[in-house]
Amino acid sequence: MVLLSAPRWLRSRLTDRFWRVQEVLKYARHFRGRKNRCYTLAIRSVRRAFVKSTKARREKKRFLRALWITRIEAASLEHGLKYPAFISNLLKSQVELNRKMIADLAIYEPKTFKSLAALAQRRRQEGFLAALGDGKEPEGIFSRIVHHY
Amino acid sequence: RYVRQLQRLQLLFSPTAADARGARQFVEEAALDFARRHPDVVLYISPCSGPAPLLLAEYLNGTVREELIASKTSEEITQLATKLAGQSGLDIIRIRKPFHTDNPSVQGQWHPFTNKPSVLTVQGPRLQPQ
Repeated sequence: MVLLSAPRWLRSRLTDRFWRVQEVLKYARHFRGRKNRCYTLAIRSVRRAFVKSTKARREKKRFLRALWITRIEAASLEHGLKYPAFISNLLKSQVELNRKMIADLAIYEPKTFKSLAALAQRRRQEGFLAALGDGKEPEGIFSRIVHHY
Repeated sequence: RYVRQLQRLQLLFSPTAADARGARQFVEEAALDFARRHPDVVLYISPCSGPAPLLLAEYLNGTVREELIASKTSEEITQLATKLAGQSGLDIIRIRKPFHTDNPSVQGQWHPFTNKPSVLTVQGPRLQPQ
């Protein structure tokens, strides 16, 4: 439809304004102050909130990994091991569990975590013997590597 | 055995309105085929003088979904109906976690006394908690 002069196009009125405003305000309802009620303030806050939430998705991964590491450190200190020793010895014994699973095991399965800590401790001792004993004793049992290919 | 989560589809349209033309064509041509292909869905067709043509989908867990079918062609309505028939009635929101368990702990959840010696908590005739 081609409305070329002002008296013709001014006949159409905007009737949807309420719903267009509500579409933005529904994302601002839990904000503090006038930005949860007033449209002009709300579009600015809502836009910033969306931008922050997209950027925070990358930070969330870092944050959660740090949280898991803190929990594993606390749990392994209860069993007398420090976190770097625990993780490095688990990796050397070919236990490839990621930090999320180890943290969940430490919370919900404390006996399994205790056995994992004992495994890491034993592998650590075998590592020390192999490094200091210089080849006369046999290799440790948990230091053997299994090839799956 | 697969149980279809869609219970019934109610097609409400007006026999004279202009935007219900697609709905009327769907009823004349494709509704029977749809009903034959999905034998466990009940299809109710009710012409009523409502404001706009609606497709109401009711699921086994009680959710009711209304879809507007105004000014849609018959093929689009069949596509929409097959999409609704394949859905379950769960809300369409962001799933926070892709896993869920009712019993997360098999060995007993950790509490501050799990790895401490039981001398601290045991109350016996001779042992006192410290």
